[in-house]
Amino acid sequence: MTYILRTTQLTKSYMGNEVVSNVNMKIKKGEIYGFLGPNGAGKTTIMKMITNLVKPTSGEIELFGEKLMNQSYHLLGRMGSIIENPIFYDKLTARKNLELHCEYMGFHNKQAIDEALVLVHLKNIDEKPVKDFSLGMKQRLGIARAIVTKPEFLILDEPINGLDPVGIKEIRDLFKMLSKEYGITILVSSHILGEIEKVADTIAVINQGKLIEEVTMEHIREKNSEYIELATNDYKKTAYLLEHQLKIVNFRVIDNYFIRVYESDVSLGELSKMLILNDVVIESIHKKESSLEDYFLSLLNRGGISA
Amino acid sequence: MHKLIRLELEKFKLSGYVWRALIANFVIFGLICVISFIEKIEGAEVFQDRYMALQIIETMIRATFIIFAGVLLSRIVISEFKNKSISVLFMYPINRKKLIVAKLLIVVAFTFICIILSYFLVGSSFYVFDRFAHVVPDSLPFADVLSYFSIVLMNALAASCMSLIPLYFGMKKFSGSTTIVASIITVLIVCQNVGGFTLNSIIFIPISLSLLGVFIAYSAIKNIENIDVIN
Repeated sequence: MTYILRTTQLTKSYMGNEVVSNVNMKIKKGEIYGFLGPNGAGKTTIMKMITNLVKPTSGEIELFGEKLMNQSYHLLGRMGSIIENPIFYDKLTARKNLELHCEYMGFHNKQAIDEALVLVHLKNIDEKPVKDFSLGMKQRLGIARAIVTKPEFLILDEPINGLDPVGIKEIRDLFKMLSKEYGITILVSSHILGEIEKVADTIAVINQGKLIEEVTMEHIREKNSEYIELATNDYKKTAYLLEHQLKIVNFRVIDNYFIRVYESDVSLGELSKMLILNDVVIESIHKKESSLEDYFLSLLNRGGISA
Repeated sequence: MHKLIRLELEKFKLSGYVWRALIANFVIFGLICVISFIEKIEGAEVFQDRYMALQIIETMIRATFIIFAGVLLSRIVISEFKNKSISVLFMYPINRKKLIVAKLLIVVAFTFICIILSYFLVGSSFYVFDRFAHVVPDSLPFADVLSYFSIVLMNALAASCMSLIPLYFGMKKFSGSTTIVASIITVLIVCQNVGGFTLNSIIFIPISLSLLGVFIAYSAIKNIENIDVIN
């Protein structure tokens, strides 16, 4: 397995205050890695450490298999990024900004600028200085700047801030396309769960500077399967019946009252029919899907604060 | 380095400053003409000797361009930190030291070249003016304009180094106005002239101020690789 990024015990403190503590994360080549956490969790600080803007207090960062040092300037050329709000030389036009960017990056394909502007759907902006752009347009331009040189690794901090729903969808599709067609590895952060969930292959949950969990989406989906929850007047009898009549083993009794059936091929109708035929009074029965949201909220709560 | 300087010039549209420098020259020339001419009409002795006119011209030019340097510093160095665009710049695969050196070189070179060229421009214009108006006693020989050049050269060198002093104050809170105020204070120290006496003539003062400017630039560059770009 090749990793684009690996951190070991990454820590940053400002005046004795740890804002990032002992983070160990791994980003595989080609994946979209979602960074999820409430505001002020330390996402931006980690991203700034990866791009060498902020130096770790302790711990290490390994990028493209090489240890990141203060002088690792060559590694910066392989990354594209938006950190916080995208910042431009705002008296210049969008195109001029991108041209300067390409020059500084040492990238000389002028056509790429047009392509990037098309990819982020920015049109009719030729004469406008960037200071007249709306937040959404700046965000798009920021993404264009990050991707124009087709870097191997994209670091995007809250890239959908200020975009409308249509824009969010366009940008989401763009990320997927970049990942799939160009094999670009993407690290994207957000405090909006629904967005991360839709693009990411792996999600890292971070809260109060600590990495709480790093899981693949696949794993989460398996873990959060549907179940039927039922409440009856006699849980012991119900459990017995489930086991012997329907041959169900995958269920759980909760608080000596609720029974959760995790078997997916049992239908609600079948279950209730069997119980009624055996004189069990059903007080409630329904199908439940524990959402990802519940899962993450529980993770964040475990971290000690309410999200 | 050449490329970095070119990109900085493009980024801040610095060609505009050449025009501003020319306008400044024009104003300095106008001022010196008006002053000397009016004094002459009023019958006062304007210049005690031939060099004094040149000295005043040189001082005015130097003062102007030290403040110009302050403006440039605040535009191409301080404003990048203030607007956080420095974080964009520092994410490029280019040595941070080189990026800052390129910026400071622009300031120093611009100041130096402007002082030298302006002296020639205003000095020779004044020579022509004097041919007609006869404001300088015994009139001003052009050879004097040239021979005074060695002093101008030394002063221009010192002024270019001094022009970096405001960097220290500007970087404290990333404030453009602080930078410019600091450059005005520098001018007040080295470009005042009380009855022919100037602090600049005590050779210790311009030399130590120049060294201070160089030292400030050096310490700004020295540590730049290790600092956090927070804000």
